[in-house]
Amino acid sequence: MPQETTTSAMEKRYAERLKRYVTAMRNEKPDMVPIRPFVAEFTAKYAGYTSQEVSYDYEKAFAAARKCAADFDWDAVVGNMVYGWMALVKAIGLKYYAVPGIEIPPDAAFQYLEPPEDQAWMREDEYDLLIEDPTGYLFNVWLPRVSADVVAPGQPNTFRNNMSFLKGGMAMLGYFMGFGRQAELLRKESGTVSAISGILKAPFDIIADKLRGYKGLCMDMYRQPKKVLAACEALMPHLTHVALSGADPTKNVPIGLWMHRGCVPFLSPPQFERFYWPTLKQIIETIWSKGHQILFYAEGEWNPNLKYIAQLPDLSIIYHVDRGDIFEVHKTVGHKFCISGGIPNDLLAFGTPEDVRAYCKKVIDGVARDGGYIMDASAIMQDDTKVENLRAMTEATREYGVY
Amino acid sequence: MAEEKSEVKRPPGTCIPWEEKKQEFPPIQGDEELVKRQWEEIDALGYTYIWQILLSF
Repeated sequence: MPQETTTSAMEKRYAERLKRYVTAMRNEKPDMVPIRPFVAEFTAKYAGYTSQEVSYDYEKAFAAARKCAADFDWDAVVGNMVYGWMALVKAIGLKYYAVPGIEIPPDAAFQYLEPPEDQAWMREDEYDLLIEDPTGYLFNVWLPRVSADVVAPGQPNTFRNNMSFLKGGMAMLGYFMGFGRQAELLRKESGTVSAISGILKAPFDIIADKLRGYKGLCMDMYRQPKKVLAACEALMPHLTHVALSGADPTKNVPIGLWMHRGCVPFLSPPQFERFYWPTLKQIIETIWSKGHQILFYAEGEWNPNLKYIAQLPDLSIIYHVDRGDIFEVHKTVGHKFCISGGIPNDLLAFGTPEDVRAYCKKVIDGVARDGGYIMDASAIMQDDTKVENLRAMTEATREYGVY
Repeated sequence: MAEEKSEVKRPPGTCIPWEEKKQEFPPIQGDEELVKRQWEEIDALGYTYIWQILLSF
């Protein structure tokens, strides 16, 4: 029957792609270089949606990701790389976003807002509360502060407060369950692998992004460094737990680790060594001891920290290169870890297909000769990536990336 | 937040530990392990909520 033939063909394609992707992530040589592009707002542009549509309606975001997966010859994609669901954000009154179509134009990507230092979501004298009971602090102090609807314990309760938890909890469950359905549809419709499972962030990044703010945390590193270190320690078991709770039970695809403030120039290497690295290293080692790899998304320039990253167990991470020199990365840690990325976003936005093809060949020749490389742009692709350039990246990889 | 503070330290995956909640129950006549397991599984959803707000949203 035609349907059975199609299903069989998709399953065969899926199996080939999964094997290709996993083999590369184990730093071995597959049949060809796998392609796993982190495409976010690009998917909206390609599928004919606005940024508002894909960030506000996750079914449209899922549909856009599946359309790209079906039209491009990619091995793995993230089910929804835009990820932040702005309707949930508004349903629970979160204050730290500028939402496409509301605070910013509908074609702009959503933005994080960092408040002034004196209005930080976590005050400078609240470290002890966080350290003593991180979950309690988040519920009782942090959430009432970052949400327009949640009230703190001891304050008069409100209808909006109650609705925030009820609607937020049920909506979040629906969204996360949607990712499982999306993975099945990617597999059935285009034989595409869902690229990651689960989420991890570094303790230092959580404090910088959502609690003290980057500027406030910079001051804290000088004024109360022991509190910063103790807070990282206190967050560590929780972030490990959350990462493992969302991990792929088959242990094929990695947990996504999205890093923001660990690179130069946000932190100097000595600051990185003291504040950022010890707890993150311990988390990665714990997760790897349970058999899960981590997609180490090194956003920004991370090459000054390569000597630390080289301390990690072999194969524990897939090192994603953004603005670092990918050839130096390969030379330094390529024997230990699979590498991904390294195709400059400005090239994909402003270059020609010929430029892109030449750069892809250069990276494949320099980094992928022995396997252990996954093709991708340097950073998550937003709507400035040209369609013809991403097509050139795909075609060049298939042309030059066969072993 | 003192009035909301758990008497038992909240480990990862937990909002209200079973040991704390159990004190509110009369002596459990049936399968206590079943009650405990279901309490913890539902409690973990609350934990997931707040930590995913922090991490993912």
